[in-house]
Amino acid sequence: MNKKQFLQRLEQSLKKLPAEERRDILADYEEHFAIGMSEGQTEENIVEALGNPGQIGKETLASYHLEKVGTTVTTGNIMRAVWAVIGLGFFNLVVVLGPFIGLSSIVVAGWAVGVAFIASPLLVLADVAISPTTFHWFQCFAAIALCGLGFFISIGMLFTTKAFTKGFIRYLNYNASLVKGGMKREV
Amino acid sequence: MNVQFKKGVLELCVLVLLDKQDRYGYELVQKISDRIEISEGTVYPLLRRLTKEEYFTTYLKESTEGPSRKYYTLTAKGRDYLHQLVQEWRTFSEAVNLLIKEGVASE
Repeated sequence: MNKKQFLQRLEQSLKKLPAEERRDILADYEEHFAIGMSEGQTEENIVEALGNPGQIGKETLASYHLEKVGTTVTTGNIMRAVWAVIGLGFFNLVVVLGPFIGLSSIVVAGWAVGVAFIASPLLVLADVAISPTTFHWFQCFAAIALCGLGFFISIGMLFTTKAFTKGFIRYLNYNASLVKGGMKREV
Repeated sequence: MNVQFKKGVLELCVLVLLDKQDRYGYELVQKISDRIEISEGTVYPLLRRLTKEEYFTTYLKESTEGPSRKYYTLTAKGRDYLHQLVQEWRTFSEAVNLLIKEGVASE
């Protein structure tokens, strides 16, 4: 097997990974080949020393999936992690699901208030459009003030949501290790 | 040697090699394979995993010959982990050595 065949087989076994990740991994091996060949090794020798590309692919995939939840935070990932931790025991149904529902309601409510405040000038406009005779300056100013406040609340919520997400993932990890009886390290 | 066992030791070797200086992937692979028989390709997934776990950071550096090389630097977190692994390794290997010694002596 030469360099090209090795890289092709490796790429084949990594096709489930995102393109960027895959490119990154292949670049490591290309660098390995380049340095090896500049030291006078043949492609065949390097391939032989590297080992089976299918096996390498498998190991890379396994470690990728393990890290996924820890590095990329998406709703799907978090939900999967929540269910995974709940799966650890019925005890957790209360301990994990409870705080999760409670805290996420607070986050949702905060966002709702922020957005509603921002939208309040629209209500004044609607009011004027429906019954032009009832226009009050007070309503107009109050709405503008609320709108400004709404922006601040939304920005605040942005940070709160981030902090909440981070904190909760940490809590899940802690919880998982607690239920499993502490992280046991293999020798 | 047992594959799982070797994998754990490989992690320790990589961390030890980076304790004193930054090194690039090829260099790490050669240093280890000079002493221990390994499939060299398995070092790279290990390096990726340890990087993602924030034990290493990486940077690219131009080389006088050939393409730029990806160097690995041990982080403070990585160093803590290294010390822990070294400790575990010492306890473990001393115990095994003792068992071997007792075993050989009684034969």
